[in-house]
Amino acid sequence: MPAPQKKRHSIARGRSRAKRNKGTKNSTMLDLYAVKTQIDAMVADERQSQVDYREKLEIALREYRRWAPEWQRLADKIARSRTSWLMPGLVEALDRPVALPARPPEISIAATDGSQIFPDRHEISSCFLINIGYILLHYGTGEKPLMSSKPTLYYREEEIFEEWGGRRIFVNRELVGAKRGLMEFTELADLALAAQEAGHRVLAFSDGTLIQWSLEGKPQDFKQYFLKASMAAFDKLAAASIPIIGYISQPGSQEIVNALKLGLCPQQVADCDRCPWRKENQLGLDAAEKEILGGQLWRGRVPCSPVEGINDAVLLHSILEPGQRTPVYRSSSKILEEYGPHWVHFFYVHVGQEIGRVEIPQWVAEDEEMLELVHACICDQAEKGQGYPVALSEAHERAVVRGADRESFYRFLRDTFVKNDIRANVSTKSFKKRHAGI
Amino acid sequence: MNTVEEEKSNPLSRFMSDGANATSAWDAEKTHVGEVVESSTTELVAEAPQLHGAPSFGQFVRVDSDMPIIGIVFNVFTHSIEANRRPTAYGKTEDELRLEQPQIFELLRTEFQALVIGYIDTTGPAQVLPPQPARIHSFVHLCSEEEVRAFTQTDDYLRSILNTSKIPTDELLIAALRQTMRAHDGAHAYFVRMGKELSRLLGDDYDRLSSIIRRAAY
Repeated sequence: MPAPQKKRHSIARGRSRAKRNKGTKNSTMLDLYAVKTQIDAMVADERQSQVDYREKLEIALREYRRWAPEWQRLADKIARSRTSWLMPGLVEALDRPVALPARPPEISIAATDGSQIFPDRHEISSCFLINIGYILLHYGTGEKPLMSSKPTLYYREEEIFEEWGGRRIFVNRELVGAKRGLMEFTELADLALAAQEAGHRVLAFSDGTLIQWSLEGKPQDFKQYFLKASMAAFDKLAAASIPIIGYISQPGSQEIVNALKLGLCPQQVADCDRCPWRKENQLGLDAAEKEILGGQLWRGRVPCSPVEGINDAVLLHSILEPGQRTPVYRSSSKILEEYGPHWVHFFYVHVGQEIGRVEIPQWVAEDEEMLELVHACICDQAEKGQGYPVALSEAHERAVVRGADRESFYRFLRDTFVKNDIRANVSTKSFKKRHAGI
Repeated sequence: MNTVEEEKSNPLSRFMSDGANATSAWDAEKTHVGEVVESSTTELVAEAPQLHGAPSFGQFVRVDSDMPIIGIVFNVFTHSIEANRRPTAYGKTEDELRLEQPQIFELLRTEFQALVIGYIDTTGPAQVLPPQPARIHSFVHLCSEEEVRAFTQTDDYLRSILNTSKIPTDELLIAALRQTMRAHDGAHAYFVRMGKELSRLLGDDYDRLSSIIRRAAY
């Protein structure tokens, strides 16, 4: 067999060269051949970093187990130290996996998701559209689920120009995104409350984080407006005792690992700004002092670096069994100072296919019964959705506005404008994109 | 018509799609078995109002119109409503799925195809193709036994079926004959008349004829 294989290989190579030549002559698009050498280099680096990664993971696991019994000491160090990383508030424990509780036979899950057509200056009108998908699934009763979506078109002067921080701005992607994010919360609250009013025991599922960290650093009035509206939605849910859950699939967060990093720091109280192992902070030290510090380095890098690059999900995959969750941790995002009673807590859970991150407000975290319900329902939802909560994926399916939908929307808009004798101008850039001539 | 009263009665009505609202409003009085979603002179496709709620293979249907169109169902199919999502096996019974995976029944749709065999005008049944096809969104009803009887007094419907390609002709003939015999109270004379006509239509294909008659008479 080796001979024909070799031959086939040479033929294939010849063909690819022919293709390549053709490509360079005719195509002005991405030159894949030029990218290839760079990909090779990337793969070589990647292979090395995978070796390092396994070692780092082992160190992280060792540290995790070391701190588990004396987590309070770690919590104390977190409280006293000054780091530049996001730290978890260790409120119950570091390591105490909680087994999967049973889901009540009858329960309803409400979920929303949003999607949009961003305003496009090059299009016929600067309007934009937000589409919200609503899902209400009833379990154990055989009742018909609610699965719908509602689009809202924004086109009025006051809708496409907004004034924030004393500046009048044409609505942009960021603003539309913020508006959509807010609607996901407020509509979810309304849907869940209506479901409760209709006699269902309901949980509210939101796609992604409950922590609106993107509001940090925004103009004060902007931040306050969005916070106030979302907190009003949270208030309503709290008053009705409807748990709200933010679910993050494939979380990249590193709070637990950050705590372990702090645990690795030889200092009693760490202050990253004055980290003595950094060269720039070693001015004025004598040689002997420098040598001691140098001995504490890990491969020439600061002592906390062995677990750098590991995230919580990777770490916990080696710890949690399917169905188990971690204890509840308190998030330390700065924006939460504005959340009042809804300060976001989180836990990680092994939903079968992956480690997911579940965010809940404080009043859910502190209510044992609600917490159990959340844990049971999130695992059940993920199991039903082959790894991802089925209510959230259905909400996404209802909400999503695909490229083809966007095209149809603008075509319909242009046709309607023309039919009604309204001047319909499309920018030359947009025209050129659609009809690239030669 | 979404009245304030209705909003009050169902707190969730604001979140329902307009179609769902309309359906629930006159659920009680609806009698149709399908709504036309594709239509041509010779055949039509209709969506059943409920999953698995299509009329049976070989049943006679009537499409609402100034000149009601008569057809015979020759294909029923259930499929995903979204092109990029197809059903997967769950290993559960339908009852279990209704309790624990209720969303899947919202993502499936039953449709049926009917062969157009004639229409009814002011003078009565006409066993020829209608001048205009059924309109999209017209409702499809099951023919009453009386309507079936009136439409199958003559044997022309057998010819309409036999002249069509692409469909399981013999099976459809058998199913249609059984329907019509029931409508004609199982009259022996009617069956003999239809058998004679079939023998004429099939020429000297005796095997085929006997197979059809044997199975239709069962």
